[in-house]
Amino acid sequence: MTELILQALYSGLLQGGSYALIALGLALVFGTMKVINLAHGELVLLAAYVAYAVESGLGLGSGFGPIFAIPIALVVVCIAAVSVYFVVSRIKIDREINSLILTYGIGVILTNLILLVWHADVRSTNSTWLQEAFVVGPFYSMRSELIFFGVSVALMGALWWWLARSWYGRAVRAVSSNRDAAELMGIDPGRTELVSFIVAGVLAAFAGVALFSYGVIQPAYGGALTVKAFIITVLAGVGSIPGVLLGAVLLGVAEALTVTLASSALQELAGMTLFLLVLFVMPNGLFGAARRRG
Amino acid sequence: MSGAINAGIKINKTLVALIVAGYAVVPFALGANNYIMSMIVAALVIGGVALSWALLGNLGGMVSFGHSAFFGVGAYVSALVTVKLGVPVLLALPLGGVGAVLASIVMMPVLRLRGPYFALAILAYAHIFRILATEWSSVTGGSGGVSGIPGFPTVFGFDFGTKMGAYLIALTLVLVFAFAYARIRASYYGIALRAMHDSEDATRVVGVNSTVLKAAMLMVSAFMAGVFGALNAHYINFLEPDYAFNALWVTLPVVAAIFGGYRTISGPVIGALVVYMADQLVFKALMPTGHQLVLGVLLVMMIVFSPSGLMPLLKKWTARHA
Repeated sequence: MTELILQALYSGLLQGGSYALIALGLALVFGTMKVINLAHGELVLLAAYVAYAVESGLGLGSGFGPIFAIPIALVVVCIAAVSVYFVVSRIKIDREINSLILTYGIGVILTNLILLVWHADVRSTNSTWLQEAFVVGPFYSMRSELIFFGVSVALMGALWWWLARSWYGRAVRAVSSNRDAAELMGIDPGRTELVSFIVAGVLAAFAGVALFSYGVIQPAYGGALTVKAFIITVLAGVGSIPGVLLGAVLLGVAEALTVTLASSALQELAGMTLFLLVLFVMPNGLFGAARRRG
Repeated sequence: MSGAINAGIKINKTLVALIVAGYAVVPFALGANNYIMSMIVAALVIGGVALSWALLGNLGGMVSFGHSAFFGVGAYVSALVTVKLGVPVLLALPLGGVGAVLASIVMMPVLRLRGPYFALAILAYAHIFRILATEWSSVTGGSGGVSGIPGFPTVFGFDFGTKMGAYLIALTLVLVFAFAYARIRASYYGIALRAMHDSEDATRVVGVNSTVLKAAMLMVSAFMAGVFGALNAHYINFLEPDYAFNALWVTLPVVAAIFGGYRTISGPVIGALVVYMADQLVFKALMPTGHQLVLGVLLVMMIVFSPSGLMPLLKKWTARHA
């Protein structure tokens, strides 16, 4: 039993990597634009389906199909993210409510496009190389899980460096904390928002390919991904990359433990229970500053 | 302000004409066509949910993507009390609404969250209720669903179990709820709620308990959606979790309400009739799978070009070409 629980903790940790990428994308865009992109999960899913298309198109059953798909997924998802930005930025009145409804509509469009192009069947990778068992001490995982966990951590490091040191990273932080002041300092808020959307798209592309490499995907999955990303931002509170990673790992572990100890059907309930607990007990998140309460 | 207060209760000629058309003309003109009638009933059900969604958005200032939860809970409660406890169908309808209100009370903690966070939290709740309906199989029948849900009874010799009967019940409920909505909007609570839309903090300062008012609107909205879920369950006589909690019960009402104008009372209902008919007759014929794509496109176009609904857009066009 202890072994099972330890294994669940390990799987949850690895899963947390991609979850963190998804949540960071959602949080970045919310930071700069104050808009929750309800189509964010669908962007991630789009990348996953691009990976599927590349794999089945190349016919490399045993090979690196999903890995080759990353550049294509990056291009496709970034184009989609930029399109979302240009539509969202057209909203002038009642921005908060209208942007939610708008991105919800974009989510519906993307879900149904995916349904039209790739049909409703559940898909997963055929690559035996990616699915091969990889044993670290007492822990078991697929090779792909470990690879993409490493990729996620590396990306988060890069993101941290970018936000802390680069000009645009600083601009993103400046616009997030005070849009008007940032504009007075010579930062173009519109362009900064666009950059945040593109970075969110990049993170979504990697997360999507990762999800396809070690899990199953289906067209209706996008909404659940957005909810997961949201739960993580509530767990983490506003504003720190390590906080998001911790929140993501917590969600991943909670889900894995539920699957191990109860049933896989209750997986989503685990996240929700965590979410409600945090909402009641620590409404500012586990690591966040006071900001969100009404 | 007095004009706005009267507007809720004012009986104008168009309204009377619409009611006469609804009760007299439509049944005689289309009553024999079962296909059209069944579509009108479905459109009215969506119109009822759209009305409840718009009430929450317009008066409460809250965008909900979780109305499928209220719809599904209402449907399940009403179906189960009739099947398992033998409660008469007409009594089970309001019980379905009460069930949805209980579901909304469970959601109250999310009222602590503002704007976008609220919208996402309520979306997350909708997932929970679907999972509960699937997993709590000793009560709900699990993913197999509930079958043999009794239809509407015969009252005074008129069989409400027919398409015509369902149509009359749905139409009456839509009108009753629209009337209740108008009364709430015209009341002092309605004024306070609209003031909250401009500035919640300022409204609090003058002594309005905004949280209680928002909670009340959530409950009213949940009740309406729940009753329509119940109505639909007794109309189609079968329920399963994936159907009762389908995201479509959010998407269609949202598109309908935005299309017709969610700050008006008639808009969501008219929007539902137009959007659902177009979806079923045109879009579905053109593309059998994924025809909801068109709904998404419609929603995006409306928000970008005319977020307050089609009516202002039409007025703008006619003014320009006059």
